[in-house]
Amino acid sequence: MDPFYEACYLLRKREFTRCIDICTNLLQKNSLDQAVWVLKMRALTMQVMVDDIEAEEEGIADIFLDTDTIAISARPGTSLKTANMNTTLGNVNHRPRSVSGRPLSGVVRPGSQASSGETLQQVLKTPRTAQSARPVTSKSARSLRLGTASIVSQLDGPFIQISRLNMTNYAAQKAVSKPLFEYIFYHENDIRNALDLAIEATKICEFKDIWWKIQLGKCYFLLGLNRDAEKQFKSALKQQPSIQLYLRLARVYIRLDQPITAFDLFTDALKHFPNEVTIMTEMARIFEGLNNLPMSVKYYKEILQEDATNMEAIACIGVHHFYSDQPDIGLRFYQRLLQMGLYNAELFNNLGLCCFFAQQYDMVMICFERALSLAINENAADVWYNIAHIAIGIGDFDIAEQCLRLALSIDSTHATSFNNLGCIIYSRGHIQQACSYFDSSSALAPYLFEPYYNRAFVSHEVCYNSFN
Amino acid sequence: MSVPVFSFRIKYDILPGLVTVGKYDGSHSCLTAATTGAKILIHSPHRHNREISFLNVNESVTAIYAGRLKPDEDKDILIIGSPSTLLAYHVDNNSELFFKEVPDGVTAITIGNLEGYSNPLLIVGGNCSIQGFDWKGQDLYWTVTGDVVRSLALVDINQDNANELVVGSDDFEICIFKNDNLIHEMTETETVGFLVGYKETKFAYALSNGTVGMYEKLHRLWRVKSKNTVNCLGSYDLDGDGVDELITGWSNGKIDARNSKTGEIIFKDLFSNGIAGIVSGDYRRAGRNQLIVISCTGEIKGYDSTSLTQDLKVHSDLLRELFLKKQSLISEIKNYSMMDLLTPGIPANTKLVTDINASMNSNRFPYNHVLLSLSTNNATILRLATIFAEGIFEGETFVVHPPNKDVSSALDIALVPPKDVSLDIHIRAFVSNDVDCEQYHVFELTRQLPRFSMYLLVPYLGIEDPISYVTFHIVERIQRLNMWLSHSFLIPTEIPVKITENNDWRIGIKPLREDSSVVNIKCVLGTVTIITENMELAAEIIQSLANYLNIDKLDVS
Repeated sequence: MDPFYEACYLLRKREFTRCIDICTNLLQKNSLDQAVWVLKMRALTMQVMVDDIEAEEEGIADIFLDTDTIAISARPGTSLKTANMNTTLGNVNHRPRSVSGRPLSGVVRPGSQASSGETLQQVLKTPRTAQSARPVTSKSARSLRLGTASIVSQLDGPFIQISRLNMTNYAAQKAVSKPLFEYIFYHENDIRNALDLAIEATKICEFKDIWWKIQLGKCYFLLGLNRDAEKQFKSALKQQPSIQLYLRLARVYIRLDQPITAFDLFTDALKHFPNEVTIMTEMARIFEGLNNLPMSVKYYKEILQEDATNMEAIACIGVHHFYSDQPDIGLRFYQRLLQMGLYNAELFNNLGLCCFFAQQYDMVMICFERALSLAINENAADVWYNIAHIAIGIGDFDIAEQCLRLALSIDSTHATSFNNLGCIIYSRGHIQQACSYFDSSSALAPYLFEPYYNRAFVSHEVCYNSFN
Repeated sequence: MSVPVFSFRIKYDILPGLVTVGKYDGSHSCLTAATTGAKILIHSPHRHNREISFLNVNESVTAIYAGRLKPDEDKDILIIGSPSTLLAYHVDNNSELFFKEVPDGVTAITIGNLEGYSNPLLIVGGNCSIQGFDWKGQDLYWTVTGDVVRSLALVDINQDNANELVVGSDDFEICIFKNDNLIHEMTETETVGFLVGYKETKFAYALSNGTVGMYEKLHRLWRVKSKNTVNCLGSYDLDGDGVDELITGWSNGKIDARNSKTGEIIFKDLFSNGIAGIVSGDYRRAGRNQLIVISCTGEIKGYDSTSLTQDLKVHSDLLRELFLKKQSLISEIKNYSMMDLLTPGIPANTKLVTDINASMNSNRFPYNHVLLSLSTNNATILRLATIFAEGIFEGETFVVHPPNKDVSSALDIALVPPKDVSLDIHIRAFVSNDVDCEQYHVFELTRQLPRFSMYLLVPYLGIEDPISYVTFHIVERIQRLNMWLSHSFLIPTEIPVKITENNDWRIGIKPLREDSSVVNIKCVLGTVTIITENMELAAEIIQSLANYLNIDKLDVS
């Protein structure tokens, strides 16, 4: 068989390594064969390419050192940053907070990790576990995930010396420019050079090619040039509306902390693409970020009307029901997830909790056993914490204490465990010890109000008793 | 003096002129001002504990304005202009309506209705251009001006129930646009920094040299000049008579309110620093607006009609006028009685003779100028003369005061008008018998300088094949052309007009301002030809001629 045809075939079969090998051989024979060169580039790119629409994550530096957001202290309900101020204690839907300090969501996704700490200091203090690993900048966030690719294939030096490329030349060759851009963007993760290439290429096609507009926007966005990105996306959107473009443009607005603008954009998008699940998911996420949970659930419910197997929607509605005192309904959603084949510690943990609060005690322990057997590292701490919660519920403080200590042994930064442990210790009369637990809890998670309250309560009691 | 209805201070510096007030939630007024570090400060008195909030702009703010832009919403939109961008921002929703790159910069903003547009239009003035946007950011209106636009106002000047756009710019012009047609132009003496529109065809203006004035339709009602500069201009009905007063904030911290008809000061107050902005908004939830004044250091005071002290109102025009009259009469009597004692008066038939001529540079005045010669008709001397004319001198007034030994009965003054506009010169000459005399007779007179005073009329030079020229056809008698000439130019004793036997009319005009060649005008059988390379001058000559001859329409080629 012709080796080039074979390589093409292998690429289609997504057997990239073999495809690359063949291409390398071919290139050794004839290093000027552009077709093989492009094929190898595509294979290398496809090896590491991920759908980056949702992979965006805002780094700490971007949040605190860039001042692209217009309103510094926007009205609550109009900004993702001030969303937490919205939560009042009387709120029915008051949810516990995740490690990063945001109200708990049904699913973990990029962005749901985003800390809501108001100061840089507070964010840096947020425990850095696998759950809350936050990149320092968005550039390094990508490098973290994708940049490893450039090491993988560097057996005999890099495939393409990007710094020595003549961008204008390659930009002019339409067959080469796009694969080359993707290679630089995804494989080499060299945004700056990718941008150079894109600028040259878009000039050559007289600023008419929508593909280059999107790529330019992507580069600008990653470089933090939000206004330039907005311009590119808007111009592309005018040319031809697409779901991807709406999502990317909305990301820019979210980066600018204008959730309502993003929401208006999506409303507009729904006119072009009625009942589009991806767009409605984004809308639901925006409301969740704004802490407007009823609206968020409304959209998730609409999503389920369209796509009954949307895991994110099911999980989020489940959580909503659980925290609005309807554990039995929440249970049904989690059962649905189980039916769909999801099989992990978090799900069994949630099932266990729902069973407990729905008073189906026979299932509780079985669920938690499964959860423990499936749990890995930090998950286990959460599971033990929840088991401790059940133990407190049934009045067995000894087991509860054991479980909490186990949780802390796995994850020494589990702030809520510290708090609960403090309560148990206090009930045993060890006031000093309890106080130190409350202190470490509040030091680890300044957004929790419980340890402060408990500490105050204990202090008051001690004073009161000593005065009597 | 005055009593503010409220007074407080915010600890931020405010940039002068960049202050506005908006009802961002539809009901509560919020003072909005640009502060240092490319930030915008919003002060919302109704929000307890969180009264002050900031907006990041990231670029230096050149203009801000708040107004209703969205037709279906009563919430104000904040418009922020920077040297290259324009942002329409919905403060209440923390979302932007649109963000635009404006290469001409944004130097003035207003929002209002223009004829032919159903929705409110955001009008933005930049470098030589005016653009209008709707709330979606669509570019609907566009026109050009002569220079950087400094101020915009929407006024119904010609009472046709539709707003005209009044534009003040760096080239000293106030232009009035009807849609995108220029319908009138007024020339001022400095950059027109501020414009405020009033009801009933009036608008106020302020120049960067400290002049404040008021126009009604196309006529100036009054104007005053101060040595301080105007920092901001506003309008508010302070005395409750239903007519807005003109409120002026000065760079030295003074604030005064003037009657819009007469320019008479009815109210004043003093801040410790320059005034940054004057707005009117309801800051006490009283159901009506107060006048809010903010200084550059963040001092805020509010006034309304109760701030005016009562007795000041009672002393109305009449009393004050009579008092002034009495004062001047008393001083006059005093003067006469003193003069009788000291020196004999000047001869009764003394007259002041003035003569105005355009002239080339001479030994005394080494530049081309308009020579104003004053002389008396007898042996009396001219001790000094003050000349008051707009825009010719720095500070508007010029005093000629020769040393004692040079005092004579004649005085020559060189004027160099910088622009081609007709001017009134007010002359005051101090005449007496003797140099050491302490009492002088003051002669006051007003002379008009024609529009083209800086041009010398010379005989026509026949250029047979001109490089560039303008021709048009008029149906007028030659005499009318001569009249126009004597109206617009300084005519020497003998007019060098050449009228040939078959009624050809020829004249040459030499510009004195720059060293360019003579402009030749000839009129042969009703066809006027202006031969010049300076197209601007040709245009001005045609304009003036058309004005004088009352020609509405003229085909020019």
